[in-house]
Amino acid sequence: MRKRTLKRGLTAFWWLTLAFLYLPLAVVVLFSFNASNSAANFTDVSLRWYYRLLGNEEILSAFANSMVLAIVSSVVALVVGCLIGYGMYRHRHRKLGWLIVLIYLPIVLPDIVFGISEMAFFVQVHRLTGFLQPGLSTMIIAHVTFQIPFVALIVYSRFVGLDPTLFEAAKDLYATPIKRVVHFMLPTIKPALISAFFLSFTLSVDDFVISFFTAGPESATLPIYIWGAIKKGVSPEINAIATLMIGAVAVAAIVSLMFSRRRQA
Amino acid sequence: MSDTITAAVTDKTAPTPAARAAHDASTREASAIAMQGLHKRFGRDTVALAGVDLAIRAGEFFTLLGPSGCGKTTLLRILAGLEEADDGRLLIGGRDVTDVPPHRRSVNTVFQSYALFPHLSVRENLDFGLKMRGVAPAERKARVARIAEFIQLGDLVERRVDQLSGGQRQRIALARALVCEPDVLLLDEPLSALDAGLRSQLQVELLRVQKRLGMTFVFVTHDQDEAMVMSDRIAVLNGGLIQQVGPPREVYEHPVNAFVARFMGHDNLYPVTGRCGDRLTTPLGELTAEAAGSGALLLIRPETLDLLPGDGAGTNHLPARVVERLYRGSHAEYRLAVGESTLQATVNNRGRHLPEVGDRVTVTVAPEDLVTLSE
Repeated sequence: MRKRTLKRGLTAFWWLTLAFLYLPLAVVVLFSFNASNSAANFTDVSLRWYYRLLGNEEILSAFANSMVLAIVSSVVALVVGCLIGYGMYRHRHRKLGWLIVLIYLPIVLPDIVFGISEMAFFVQVHRLTGFLQPGLSTMIIAHVTFQIPFVALIVYSRFVGLDPTLFEAAKDLYATPIKRVVHFMLPTIKPALISAFFLSFTLSVDDFVISFFTAGPESATLPIYIWGAIKKGVSPEINAIATLMIGAVAVAAIVSLMFSRRRQA
Repeated sequence: MSDTITAAVTDKTAPTPAARAAHDASTREASAIAMQGLHKRFGRDTVALAGVDLAIRAGEFFTLLGPSGCGKTTLLRILAGLEEADDGRLLIGGRDVTDVPPHRRSVNTVFQSYALFPHLSVRENLDFGLKMRGVAPAERKARVARIAEFIQLGDLVERRVDQLSGGQRQRIALARALVCEPDVLLLDEPLSALDAGLRSQLQVELLRVQKRLGMTFVFVTHDQDEAMVMSDRIAVLNGGLIQQVGPPREVYEHPVNAFVARFMGHDNLYPVTGRCGDRLTTPLGELTAEAAGSGALLLIRPETLDLLPGDGAGTNHLPARVVERLYRGSHAEYRLAVGESTLQATVNNRGRHLPEVGDRVTVTVAPEDLVTLSE
C-alpha cells in the first residue's frame, strides 16, 4: 500500500518536472498560432504570424545569417575537431592531461567571458592589420572555437571504443595511409561525425552571448534579432520564430542523438 | 595460388599430387623466411628479442611457442611489418623486406581479436584486402565467392560482423587473410578466445586448410599441446631467444634444456650427481641409461614409467610409494615418493590393477627412454 503511494508520488513528480520543462515552450508554440495579437487570450487558430515572418526582410536576413553561420562553422569545426580527436587518440599513451584541459576549457568557460575575449581580440587584430572586421567571419571563427572541443571529444571517444588492432588489420590488408583514411577510418567514425556535426549546428543556432559580442552591424542572427525586437515588447511574431527554432533544434538534436546511439551499438 | 584454392574446393579430400607438386615448385622460393640476428627493445629496459636467427621452410606449418613476454608475438609482428626490428635482417622468399611497410608485404595476419571491420559486412571484410590491392572487381567477386565456399561460410557473407559467433568470426578472419593468397600467413593465437570443443575442431580445420593449400603458416601460441598437434616444426622461445627448433616429437622427447622441458610439461627432472659409463647417480638412486647424452639433468617422461606391485629387483627398478592418484579414465596420473624425491608417472588404463594411494610399488623405466639435458 505504502509502496504504491510512493510510486504514484514519483510518477506525479515526473510529470511535474516535464511540465516545468516544457510548459513554457508549449505556451510559445500555442500563441504562435493565435489569431489575435494578445499575449493573454487565445482566440482562434491562424498562421498569420508565420506569413508575417515571411514578409519581414530583417527576420529573413537574420535567419539566413544564422544558417550560414551554423553550417559554415560546423563544417570547419568538424574538420579541425576531427583532426584533433584523432591526434588525441594517436597520442593517448603520452601524458596529455594538460592538453586535454586546454581543449575542455572553452566548454566550461562562461560564455560572456569567452565572448568578451573574442571581441577584444578581434578588435585588436582589426586595429593592427585591417583584417577581421566584426561581422559573419568573426562570428564563424568564434563559433568554431567553442564547437571544436565537442567534435574532438566525440571523435576521440569513437576511436577509443575501437579495437586498436583494426588499424593494424587495415595496414596488413594492403591499405596505403590514404586508403586507410578513406576506406577504414572515415567510414568507421561516420556516425560520430554526423552526430558531432548536428551537435555543433544546434550549439551554433542556440548561441546568443558569443554571437552578440562578435557580430557586426550587418550580421545579426535570429537570437540577436529576437533580443533586439523584444525590447519593444513580445510580439506574436517572436513566438512564431521561437517555434520554428524549437523545431529546427529539436530535429538536429534528435539526429545527433540517433547517430550517437548507433555509434555505441 | 588461386588455382590451388579452386582445386582444393573442387577436390575436398586432398590436392592431387601433380597439383601439389606444381604449386610447391611455384611458391617454394617465394615463401621461405629467413631471420638474421633480429633484435628488438621496447623502451630502455624491455628486451623483446635478443638476437633471433631462424629459417622457416616454404609450405611449413611453423609454430612460435613460449610463455607470455618471450618475444613470440614481437617476432610475428616483425614478420607482418607492424613492428620494426632495431637490428637484423628479415628475408621472405629471398627478398630483403626488413624496411618494407606492412601494406607492401605479401603477408597476411589472422589477429587474436580477429579485427574484423565493424562498419563492413562479412563480404566486404573478405573483399577488403583485394580492393586495397587494386584487383579487378570481377576477379574480386570470384575470389571472395571461392574463399567463402572453401571455408564453408557461404550463407554468412551478407551478415554484419556483430551478428556472428566467436567461431564464425575466427573463420572469417582466416578467410579474409587467405583470400589475398599471401606468400606467408601469420596467426597470432587465433584460437585462444574459443572454448575447448570449438578450439580442437578449428585446430583440425586449420591444419587441413594449410595442408591443402601448402601455404607457409607461422603460428603463435603459448599452448604446447596446440603446438604439438598443429606444427611441422616448433621454435620454443624464452627471454627473446630461441631455445630449440625442431619437430614436435623432438622438442617433446629430447628437450635441449630445463626451460624447454618444463614448458613442454615435464616435471621429472633430476640432477645427475655422478656418472660411471651408463650408470647415472641421481636423487632417485642409480639408473642405467643408454645413449642419454652428457647433460647435467636427467629427464624421465611420465609415460615411459611402469608400475609393478610390491617389491622387485632388476635394472632401473626403484621402490616407491603412491602419494596421489588422479584417475582420468583412459589413463591414471600418479605422484610417487622415491626416497626423498617425487616422481610423476602416467599409466594407461588397460583394465589391469591400478595401485591405490599408500600402496608400495616398484617403478621401472627402460634404459633407452632416459634422456639428459643441460640446465
